[in-house]
Amino acid sequence: MNASMYKSAVKPTWCPGCGDFGVLAGITQALAEMGWEPENVVAVSGIGCSSRFPFFLSTYGFHSIHGRAVPVAIGMRIARPDLKVVVFGGDGDGFAIGGGHFLHGARRNVDVTYVIMDNHIYGLTKGQTSPTSDLKFKTKSTPYGSVEPPINPVQIAICSGATYVARGFAGDPKGLKDLFVRGMRHKGFALIDVLSPCVTYNRVDTFKSFKERIAAIPADHDRADLSAALTLATDPERFFTGVLFEIQRPVFEDRVEALKGYSDRSWIEVVEDVFDSMS
Amino acid sequence: MAKQFIKGNEAVVKGAILAGCQAYYGYPITPASEIAEAAAYYLPLLGRTFLQAESEIGAINMVYGAASAGIRVMTASSSPGISLKQEGISYAAGAELSCVVVDITRGGPGLGNIAPEQSDYNQMVKGGGHGNYKLIVLAPNCAQEMCDLTMHAFDLADRYRTPVVVMADGFVGQMMEPVEFPAPVVDLPPKPWATAGTPETYKNLITSIDLEPDDLERHINHLYAKYAEIEANEVRYEEYMVDDADLVCIGFGVVSRILQSGIERVRAEGKKVGLLRPITLWPFPEKRLARLADEGKKLLVMEMNKGMMVDDVRLAVQHRVPVGFYGRVGGNVPSGREVYDQIMLHLEAV
Repeated sequence: MNASMYKSAVKPTWCPGCGDFGVLAGITQALAEMGWEPENVVAVSGIGCSSRFPFFLSTYGFHSIHGRAVPVAIGMRIARPDLKVVVFGGDGDGFAIGGGHFLHGARRNVDVTYVIMDNHIYGLTKGQTSPTSDLKFKTKSTPYGSVEPPINPVQIAICSGATYVARGFAGDPKGLKDLFVRGMRHKGFALIDVLSPCVTYNRVDTFKSFKERIAAIPADHDRADLSAALTLATDPERFFTGVLFEIQRPVFEDRVEALKGYSDRSWIEVVEDVFDSMS
Repeated sequence: MAKQFIKGNEAVVKGAILAGCQAYYGYPITPASEIAEAAAYYLPLLGRTFLQAESEIGAINMVYGAASAGIRVMTASSSPGISLKQEGISYAAGAELSCVVVDITRGGPGLGNIAPEQSDYNQMVKGGGHGNYKLIVLAPNCAQEMCDLTMHAFDLADRYRTPVVVMADGFVGQMMEPVEFPAPVVDLPPKPWATAGTPETYKNLITSIDLEPDDLERHINHLYAKYAEIEANEVRYEEYMVDDADLVCIGFGVVSRILQSGIERVRAEGKKVGLLRPITLWPFPEKRLARLADEGKKLLVMEMNKGMMVDDVRLAVQHRVPVGFYGRVGGNVPSGREVYDQIMLHLEAV
């Protein structure tokens, strides 16, 4: 397996220099390292610049609905638990219009890898404030500066029940690859929030500004310690990158499977029994 | 399987099971909740899946995801919940995914009430979501049809790669009647467009986007060619004493049952009145209606709304014959007496 076999013939529609190119490089390398056959992988996305991801991968692709990638992925996982599902989207898709779904995907601990390309702006619609935009941030929809404080994706993920939470930086594809591989190996809801600059509509949160605030997670950090993870996740100055939180908890698919009654008989015989028992 | 005395809502689930539905995603709402509850009880026993989603929107999107994997899947709700699902239904129509949506209709607008109305006719038959698409809409009028038409809905959804709606007023959903179960469906059609997990299909991409105007126009024309085929092949209606009738009453769902009683009473007095009940609200039996107009029959449309299907009847007959209308709303179901009086009133006007 090599990274190029996971790339489709479609040329990415992103602007030159977009952070999402780094994510694409990291993902294809991670898929190669996992050695997953393309026919066993489904890329699911919502709508937005980063949600064009499935077009650029040579796997099954599902470019779904704005904000709805998580429930779509749940439907897919339950229908085909043998297929690996990787979800792609942006901060607006995942935490504004899709915020409600995100919480429930995390608390259910659905076994998916969710990659957020977090650029603090709406890019596809040409530059409006997003749920991760900073207070006072000026955009076309906040010409006098945003009056809303941002939400923190990794904090929300940890508190909602996600079992693998990492933060990465698009300027470090090699580091991203490692975070993705670890998230793909993890059984459960794995969120990787990638600081991925929009070079066209966000002149504040740039490769340079992100790089200045990035700090490596201390080597002695206990990833199973929720309080320690939250302390790092919510640091007001620095973006700690790496794996913030990682625990094991039963996944949703296994709980659903455990409810199912099994029988050696044909399902039609079982239907007759079940129907007649209630008549 | 023995005949059972069950609610229409439960008959929906049993029909879905017999049709091979593998997964149900739903959200609680009156008067449709019995469908979710029956699905929650039966599906796990059969090794299938029920999930109460976080919202109506979550439920339709889980359906969207499961449909893309090629399994038979459904959701159900009632009017306000269906309004929330319209986005997902539009996308599924655009991406050509097979799924079944059941709407047990109640009073509106807004929260309205939980009593039966038929005021979802426009949001389902005319497409409540955005864009150029149509939905097949089946309108059962008894518990037996809740089972049979749900099974038929899954077949149509697979045959035409489209969402199919079963729309029944809350009365039909809540009414208990005997149901006989058809044979289960064992042979399901292959779906090479789905995420099949095979080396030949892994490049399948499911989307509803076409940025180039010519591409999108081509896609919409493709959808409408499919809809023309559905209009040619899938119209269903039922008639009662229409041949010699001077006045033909038209109603669907529970209204058709009350109309039939009224017609029997009027017939006993020697008056020539018949009934046409559309079973498919789209495709609509417009050709049959046009023929009735050719024969000069007067029409009386009765609905539990302020007049929605009556527009389609008027279009079908092009104002060549008088089309009367009587509607009750707010969850009121017309009484036998009201129906009798209306028939007599419209007969006298002949």
